[in-house]
Amino acid sequence: MSAQSTLLPADVPPSPSRQRAATRLLRKLAESPEAGVLIACVVVFVLIALNAPTYASIGNMQVMGRDLSQVGILAIGESLVILTGGIDLSVGALAGLAGILAAWFNVNKGVPAPVSILLAIAICAVVGLWHGTMVTRLKVPPFVITLVTFTVAQGLSLAITSGLPINGIDPLFSNLSSYYVDEIPVPALFFVGAAAVAWFVLERTYIGRQIYAVGGNKEAARLAGIPTGRRITSTYIASSVLAGVVGVLVIGRMNVADPSVGPGWELIAIAAAVIGGASLFGGEGRIVGIAAGAILLEFISNGLLALHISPYYQQVVQGSVLGVAILLDRVRARYFGRGRR
Amino acid sequence: MTMTVSDDTPGRAVTARLRGVHKSYGSVSVLDLPELDLHAGQVIGVVGENGAGKSTLMGTLAGSVDRDGGDIEIDGQPLVPGSTEAAGRLGVALVSQEFPLVGQLSVAENLLLGRRPRNSSKRYLVDRKAQHAEAAAMLAEIGLSASAIPVNREVRTLPVPARQMIEIAKAWGREPKLLILDEPTSSLGPVEAEMVLGLARQLAARGGTVLFIGHRLDEVLTVSDRILVLRNGLLVADLQPEEASEERLIREMVGGEIVHGKPTPPPPDSEVVLRVEGLTADGLGPVDLEVRTGEIVGVAGLMGSGRSRLIHTVAGAQPATGGTMWLGGKAYAPNSPGDGTAAGIALIPEDRKEQALVLFAPISANVTVSILRRISRGWLLGPRRQRDEARKITANVNVRMQSVEQLIGSLSGGNQQRAVFGRAFATDPRLLLLDEPTRGVDVGAKAEIYELIDRAAAAGMAVLVASSELEELLSICHRIAVMNNGRTVQIIDHDQATKERIMTAAAAANKPLPTNGAAA
Repeated sequence: MSAQSTLLPADVPPSPSRQRAATRLLRKLAESPEAGVLIACVVVFVLIALNAPTYASIGNMQVMGRDLSQVGILAIGESLVILTGGIDLSVGALAGLAGILAAWFNVNKGVPAPVSILLAIAICAVVGLWHGTMVTRLKVPPFVITLVTFTVAQGLSLAITSGLPINGIDPLFSNLSSYYVDEIPVPALFFVGAAAVAWFVLERTYIGRQIYAVGGNKEAARLAGIPTGRRITSTYIASSVLAGVVGVLVIGRMNVADPSVGPGWELIAIAAAVIGGASLFGGEGRIVGIAAGAILLEFISNGLLALHISPYYQQVVQGSVLGVAILLDRVRARYFGRGRR
Repeated sequence: MTMTVSDDTPGRAVTARLRGVHKSYGSVSVLDLPELDLHAGQVIGVVGENGAGKSTLMGTLAGSVDRDGGDIEIDGQPLVPGSTEAAGRLGVALVSQEFPLVGQLSVAENLLLGRRPRNSSKRYLVDRKAQHAEAAAMLAEIGLSASAIPVNREVRTLPVPARQMIEIAKAWGREPKLLILDEPTSSLGPVEAEMVLGLARQLAARGGTVLFIGHRLDEVLTVSDRILVLRNGLLVADLQPEEASEERLIREMVGGEIVHGKPTPPPPDSEVVLRVEGLTADGLGPVDLEVRTGEIVGVAGLMGSGRSRLIHTVAGAQPATGGTMWLGGKAYAPNSPGDGTAAGIALIPEDRKEQALVLFAPISANVTVSILRRISRGWLLGPRRQRDEARKITANVNVRMQSVEQLIGSLSGGNQQRAVFGRAFATDPRLLLLDEPTRGVDVGAKAEIYELIDRAAAAGMAVLVASSELEELLSICHRIAVMNNGRTVQIIDHDQATKERIMTAAAAANKPLPTNGAAA
C-alpha cells in the first residue's frame, strides 16, 4: 500500500492573494448578509438615539442587554437547528417550562437552587435528544415533532402551576440576573458567551464544519462519511439546553416563575436567525449575523417604546423587518450569485 | 392545417417540423437536429444508447426541456420552447418513465386531474359519479376493464404496470396529435405491452403520430413505420422498417467502429482488496465480484440493472440484505457510508449536484468535507488550515480556479468532478468506487478524468467503476462485470470485451417476445 502515498496531496505554498484586498473587501460586504445586518444595527441605533434621549442611556442599554439574554440566546440555539435545515418551534415554550420546573423543584420540592437549575436544564437536554432522535431516526418532520413539544411544554407549565405564578424562589435565581460586571448585566454576558461558544464550535471545530456540510447537502455529507444523524441531533440538544438556560434567567429576572411566559419567543428567535442571514433550507448563516439579527430586533422593539410608539405596533414592525430582510436576501442571492437560487 | 409534402413520405402531412433544434448542458451538446419532420399516420421508433439524446428530443417536443435554439412547428403552429402547457394545447402528449401521478388521489381523480367531468350535473361540487363514469370510459378506451384497474382505488396502492397504464390512458384521453411514449413497455408485462403497441398502431391508423422510444429493439421493429437512431445527440440513421434489423440498429447505435481505446496493462498478480460473495440488497443480487490492487473493474448494464445499487451497497450507503464482503482480507459489513470511509473506501457518486457537492459553499469546504476530522488538531480546525489543505487537494488534481474560497458551483462540470476526485484521493482510500464518473463532463475533461482513474490504479487503489457509457468502460477497465436485472451475468476481460458482447449480455431478455419484425 505504500505506493498509494503518491496520490496524497503534496505540499504547496499557500497562494499569496493579498492583492486587491480593498476591492475584495467591498465585494464581500455586498455579498455577505452579515455586513448588512451589522450596518442596519448601527443605523437603527443612531437614528433612534437621536430622537429619544433616554435610548442610549446606560440604564436602557442594560435593559436591552437583559432582553437579549432571552430572545438572543434562543436565537443562537434556534440557528444551529436551522443550519441543518430543521426548525425548532419548541424553544419558547420549553424555556417557559424550564423556568417553571426549576422554580417548582426549588420551592415545592425543596431542592437546592443549583441542583434544581441543573435538573431543569438536564430535562431540556433530554427533550432535545428526543427531538433529534425522532427527526433523524424516524424521519419525523422537525416542524411537527417540535410543535408537539411546544404544545405539551406550554400545557405542562400551566398544569404544574395550575396557572398561578410560583413565588418565593431562591435568591440565587435573581442574583444570576441582577448582578453586573462593570455595568454589564450578567444575563447579557450569557448571550455573549453563548454566541462566542456557538461561533467557536461552528467556525473553528471540525464538528461545526460538518454541521454546515450536513445542512448544505445532507446526502452529499452522508456519502462523504459524515455521521449526519449525530450532527443533527446535537443541534437539537444544544437548542433545547439553551432554552433551559433562558428559562432559568427569566425567572430570576422577574423573581417569580410565571407559567404564561415563553411561548411566542420562538418566532422572534426564528426571525432573528433569518434576518441574520440563516437560510431555512439549511447550510447557510453565520453566528455573527444571527447575533446581529437578534440585536437589531431588540434595538427596534425597545426603540419603539423609547419613541413612545404604541406597543400594539411592535409586531407589525418586527414582521416588516423580517419581510424586508427576506426580500433583501433573495435580491442578493439573485444578483450576487450567493446562496440557493 | 399546413399541408407539406416531403420527399421520402409522399402525400403525408407533417405533424411536427423541427428545424435547427439544439440543446446543450454546459459545453456538452446533447441534441443537435438540423432538420426533422415527423409525419402523420406513422409510428416512429426512436432508439439510441443512454445519453444519445432520446429523452432530450422527447422533452423538447413535450415542452419539459427548454431548447437552446431552433424552431418547432406542430401542425403548422409554432411551439413555444419550455412550456408543457403550450405543447399540450398544440396536441402533444407525453407518457414519461416517471409517472407524474398523485399517489394519494384515486385513479379517477388522477385521470381527470385539472379538469371537470364533461357530463356533470353539478356546477361547483365534486360529482364523484360522473368522475368515475368518465374515468372508467377513459380506461375502456385503451382496452382496460373496470375490474383491471378500479377507478376508486388510491393510485399509490397500485403496482407500477397499472400506473403506467393510467398514464397512457391520461395521454390518450387528451386525443393527442403527437403521442410520445418513453419506453412505455419497460415496466409492463407481455399482455399490457401488446396492448400499448396496439394503441400506438391504432393512433397512427387514425392519422395521428406516435413517437415510440424503445429499449427493446424487437418491439421497435415490430411497431414502427420509420426508425430514427440517435447517437451523441445526432440523428445518425433514418430507416424504413424493411432496411432495419436488430444487428443494423445496434451497429448504428454504437457507431459501427469498435472502440478499444488504449489498452491498459493488466495488473500484476496483486492482492484482492474487495471480495463480494452472494451480495444482495434491495433490487440487487446475488453478486459475486473481486477487485484487486491496481485493478480497474467496470460495471456495465442497462438502466435499472443494479449498477448504482452495487456501488452504493459496497459503499455502505444502501443496506445489504445478504451475502458477505471482505475488504483487505477482513470481513466488512457497513451500516453507513461512514463505516465505508473508515474502512478505506472513497465513493464518487453519480449526481454531483445532489450527492457530492454543496454548490453554494466554497471549494475549500467541499474538498475537505471527508477529511475534516483528520486535518483538525484535536477538535480544532481553523479556516487557514482548511484552506491550506484545500489548496493541496486541488493542486494535486489540477483544479482550475481563482481561489479555494470561490464557490464550487461556479466551476465547470469537469473541474467540479476533478475536485471530487481530489477529495476522494485525500482520504487515501484502498478502494475507489465510481458511479458515472464522467457524467455531465465535456469531451476534453473526460480524458483528464480517465487519467485520474489510471493514476488511482497505478498508485495501488482498487477501482470499481459503474458507467452507462460502454466506450468509457472499454477504454479504461481491466475487466467488465455486466449486470442484468440486479445480477452480474458475465465478467469479461479487457481483451475479449466488445460493445456487442456487453450489450448482448446486458439486454438478454427475461421475457421473450417475437423478434421477427413481420410478426405483428
